[in-house]
Amino acid sequence: MVDVQKVRKVYHRDSQEITVLDGIDLQVPAGEFVALMGPSGSGKTTLLNLIAGIDRPTSGKVWVAGTDVAALSESALAAWRSRNVGFIFQFYNLIPVLTARENVELPLLLTHLSKRERRDRALTALKVVGLEDRATHYPRQLSGGQEQRVAIARAIVADPKVLVADEPTGDLDARSAEEILGLMETLNRDFNKTIVMVTHDPRAAQKAHTQHHLEKGVLKQ
Amino acid sequence: MKFLPFIFKHLRRNWIRTASTVLAMAVCIFLFCTLQSVLAEVNTLLEASSGTRLVTRHAVSLVFNVPLPYAERVKTVPGVKRVAVTSWFGGNLLAKKEAAGGDGSESTTDWSNFFPNLAVDAEPYFAIYPEFQVPPDQFQAFMQDMQGCVIGRKLADKFGWKVGDRFFLESFIPPYRKRDGPFEFVVQGVFDTDLAKYPGTDTNIMFFHYKYLREGTGRQLGAGTLTVEIDDPEQAGRVSKAIDALFENSDAQTRTETEQAFRAGFISMAGNLALLLNGIGLAVSFTILLVTANTMSMAVRERRTEIAVLKTLGFSSATVMGLIVAEALLLGVLGGALGIGGSQAIMWALTNTPGISDALAGIGLSELNLKPFVAALGFAVALFLGLAAGFVPAWSAYRSRITDMLRTV
Repeated sequence: MVDVQKVRKVYHRDSQEITVLDGIDLQVPAGEFVALMGPSGSGKTTLLNLIAGIDRPTSGKVWVAGTDVAALSESALAAWRSRNVGFIFQFYNLIPVLTARENVELPLLLTHLSKRERRDRALTALKVVGLEDRATHYPRQLSGGQEQRVAIARAIVADPKVLVADEPTGDLDARSAEEILGLMETLNRDFNKTIVMVTHDPRAAQKAHTQHHLEKGVLKQ
Repeated sequence: MKFLPFIFKHLRRNWIRTASTVLAMAVCIFLFCTLQSVLAEVNTLLEASSGTRLVTRHAVSLVFNVPLPYAERVKTVPGVKRVAVTSWFGGNLLAKKEAAGGDGSESTTDWSNFFPNLAVDAEPYFAIYPEFQVPPDQFQAFMQDMQGCVIGRKLADKFGWKVGDRFFLESFIPPYRKRDGPFEFVVQGVFDTDLAKYPGTDTNIMFFHYKYLREGTGRQLGAGTLTVEIDDPEQAGRVSKAIDALFENSDAQTRTETEQAFRAGFISMAGNLALLLNGIGLAVSFTILLVTANTMSMAVRERRTEIAVLKTLGFSSATVMGLIVAEALLLGVLGGALGIGGSQAIMWALTNTPGISDALAGIGLSELNLKPFVAALGFAVALFLGLAAGFVPAWSAYRSRITDMLRTV
């Protein structure tokens, strides 16, 4: 499902060149649940961003769901993301002026679905994460764990092939984190979603089938 | 259309800021529409002027009269067809309307019902102004009655006057006052006009005999102006120069100009009216543009993370840019609609408030209203302001990279 080949990512700050990823090779089969671990600044999030198609490698190839992500134009990449990738952020990043249902419905605005179909799908996604009774609540009316579940519903509503999660439990208490990880396991097991998760938390990483460690931009098995 | 609720929700996010911006925009469009309506009305008034009519006045100021004998000398200038003595009387109704046969001893004037009234040399004047269509029998009666007057249809309707009615006027110009009380007038005719043929002609006006004014005051009055009809509009410049040359070496030099130039000068005594009004409109518009642009920039800056999220979810940069521009345009639409509505309301109020409406009629603005093309222009300005204000932050959002915006959390 994910095939990262000899990927390098270099940032330029003034005249300084900073190598964040240095020749990464990573394969994630379909239906896998992979955890990317490593200290801060090791390049985990950068690698995740490349897989999600929100950043481009300096060199190398990133194939996701059979597409060479780096070869797509900006607009084609946006359309590709909407169909293939669901992104779960550390800080949920829900739109505060929209209700839980409206937040979940956002990715569906890019489809040709009718208003009723969008609404039904959003409610189904909320049901999957156990928040169908909070559909009309605004983010400020939800707990952190509930907000993250709404964010997960938003990530899965368009039925993407890959879910990428950047520290999904990083802002949650232990109980909420456990719930979120359980939900991700369910999505992986019951809905066959391929999940790539960045985490600092070893307990979270244990939920994944495979763990990869990054250090100074290099992958250590 | 499916994004519209999303845009509305964002506008409601900080409703005080949104309302302030819409109000600022509304004030701008209100001023624009109101000032442009005044200008349009003035232009209509000027367009009603005929190219064959000149106005001769005292070279120093309208305050000074032109000596009466000048009228006869002007007639001798080649190209001049007719000359009519014309004086702005400045008469006001007395506070209590006098019944027929009243003694007119009351001296309190009623300023709230002011209307334009002119003392004219009737025969040539009405020949020069065919737009004032007095029925022949009524005109005949008017010519035979020294106290007679003719009034426009609008004036007749306003006061419910008809032929045979009497009323009193007293001028606010001291030399035009009688020692024994106000002037008494008898309505001898009511004139209409053909607006299709003579657009902009106002019938909220009254004319009476100059001779009555002169004899009534018992003073050696001059003429406020001389209205001159010429044979050929192309010769207006030459004839004007020839008239002024006649009195070049006299104590009372004259200034002759086309009726249009005279009216324009009269209306814009305080300077260049169009430049002034357009200047105000431009300054206000530019200020509001800066205010709205600042508001939009702040609104977008606050939402950098949300913009990054939208892009991550698959919204293209163009769609995100479109959403921001649409939001700014919506501010323009709301502000424009409010401003246009306010302008229409204030003009309706002005033209329907006794006293103010009469004052407006006195300077020829009795028909002041919001014209469709001014409203359309105002709306276009509102849209432009919205578009211009939203473009820079929208372009910035278009160009921003997701990873950079997410990093600013």
